[in-house]
Amino acid sequence: MRESPDALEERIAELRGAVRRAVAGGDRRQARTLRARLREAERAWDRAVVGEPEPAPAAAPPDRSVRVPAREHVHHALTLLGGPAAPKLILAVHDAFFPGPLGNSRISSLRRDEERSFRGSPYARPYYVCAALTADLLAPARGLLAISTWPLERRMVGPLSPRTDFLTAALRIAEHLERLGDVPTPGARRLLWRFAANIPGAAADPGAAQPAGLAAAARAELQVHAEADAAHRATAARRALDRLDEAEQLFGARLTAVRRRTGTHGKTETEPST
Amino acid sequence: MTDLAARLDRLRGAAQPRNHDARTIAALTSNPGCARRGVLDAAGIDKDAIAAELGFAAPFGQSQFAITRGNVFEAQVKADGCAELLSLLRDRLGLSIPEVAYDDLGVVGGNESRKVRHARTRQLFARALGEGPGTLFDHPLLRLDIAGQPAYLEPDVIAFQFEGRFHIIEIKSFAMIDGQADPAQVASAARQSAVYVLALRRLLTELGHDEDTVSHEVVLVCPENFSNRPTATFLDVRPQLAVLRRQLARLTGIDRIVAELPADLTFEPGAGLAGAVRSVEARYSPDCVSGCEMALFCRDEARACGSTGALGRSIRDDLGGVDSIATALALADGSLEPAEELAETAAGLRLAARLRREALGAAS
Repeated sequence: MRESPDALEERIAELRGAVRRAVAGGDRRQARTLRARLREAERAWDRAVVGEPEPAPAAAPPDRSVRVPAREHVHHALTLLGGPAAPKLILAVHDAFFPGPLGNSRISSLRRDEERSFRGSPYARPYYVCAALTADLLAPARGLLAISTWPLERRMVGPLSPRTDFLTAALRIAEHLERLGDVPTPGARRLLWRFAANIPGAAADPGAAQPAGLAAAARAELQVHAEADAAHRATAARRALDRLDEAEQLFGARLTAVRRRTGTHGKTETEPST
Repeated sequence: MTDLAARLDRLRGAAQPRNHDARTIAALTSNPGCARRGVLDAAGIDKDAIAAELGFAAPFGQSQFAITRGNVFEAQVKADGCAELLSLLRDRLGLSIPEVAYDDLGVVGGNESRKVRHARTRQLFARALGEGPGTLFDHPLLRLDIAGQPAYLEPDVIAFQFEGRFHIIEIKSFAMIDGQADPAQVASAARQSAVYVLALRRLLTELGHDEDTVSHEVVLVCPENFSNRPTATFLDVRPQLAVLRRQLARLTGIDRIVAELPADLTFEPGAGLAGAVRSVEARYSPDCVSGCEMALFCRDEARACGSTGALGRSIRDDLGGVDSIATALALADGSLEPAEELAETAAGLRLAARLRREALGAAS
């Protein structure tokens, strides 16, 4: 005999309270069984109110592609790029070289999810998709993703770093294309064009750019900036190691935190100077 | 000054103040005599909301598609550490290879408050002028005194240092076809850029540098022909700067206007709002419709009381001293004897009336 919706609602409320108490009390096993019962009750409520048999999960079209989490995709793309990158570039690289779907929406919430996971249980995962840090204030750089296993210097963003990261990415992509050797995919061609068009001397006609030419040009310009940029990053990384806790080293400090920590140094960089 | 700020806060009521941008300042200078707009803007009141509350919501603002298109193009030009912008500047201006430094001032340490961003902007510009690094500065937050009140400017531009001079880079999404763009769009871009140039000049003079450190030549970046590829041209904004300077100086001091308002006046939404808005004098002219959210309300008011301003600015100027259409008509048909100072205007009106009569009489 089916229970009435009213009785079910009462039971659902009861179970929710019980789950909350169990979680608060730290009894994980109890919480799990209670949640299973809660879901059961909710399904019964669905049946009682909507009166429909729930759609069989098997009716969904079978997904042939292996479900790889977005973080894995992003990890692959970032490892290939070798430096902090914006979601747009990550997507382009993913489309050019890796199989499987990856949408912008899946990337946008990634950093926050990763931070929550890290703060919940630190170092439970082999790597985290984390933030690049601005070299001056050690805050998360807007719109850039990085990998937690990289050395801290590589995740620092000084004034020259956007350019050096762009050139490094160009170099890595060119080398990767040379390694692959065969005819590049349309996505890869677009990527090649995008880099070649904006690096001096990469190709007379960006449409006909070759990986070797791109690599040489990127290397040449990289040499101009590398030294100053590396010095900048190294100083910033030392400061970050010095001042930030583990979570902040990965996900950046907010301005208030930096102030508190640097208060004794007498150099609050953000104080209005008037 | 603090008195005035407190007073303006009271006028605004509980609402959050709104930022000025170059668009509002450019519009402000187009009608400097309007006390209503002056007060509402100085207090940072959301005119859109007020107009809607009064039942005169203006179908105003840019189309959503235009905004999206603009944002996409801007993001494209700035992507990958301003890669496309750098190639353009290297190509057109001969920017040297080592000059690639890029600082984003949109967020400072996860903090978006205007004060912090402005302080940071000052700091970085001071450093860049004192032999420090600094080529591109994205989203600088500038400040400009509007009618004696400092207003923050939220420019969607990049300031760019080249050979010791700063340029403003304005990225716009209207197409440049065969080196020609829509003149109206270019003119509006020039007006807006002039506001930024002026604000940046103020900042650098405050830092103890010469005004000419900021160039009057603005770099305008637009899509080329029918493609998405950016192209850059120089835009000389000296005329716009001169106009802007003059208008800003002429802007009636807000403190004087506010001093004449009743002490308990407030623009809080509610029953008294219409009365409160009416108590501040407006100066409506038809071109307000293209630049001010309050325009439909003011137009209604101007028409209801038969103000000559509703007929257009040139007519209002021709009829100097005659405020209402009824008076003008009475002067024209001779039913009202003009006072001495209006004799000339009245003679003109009578002549016009006679010509009209004759023309209509000849036609019939």
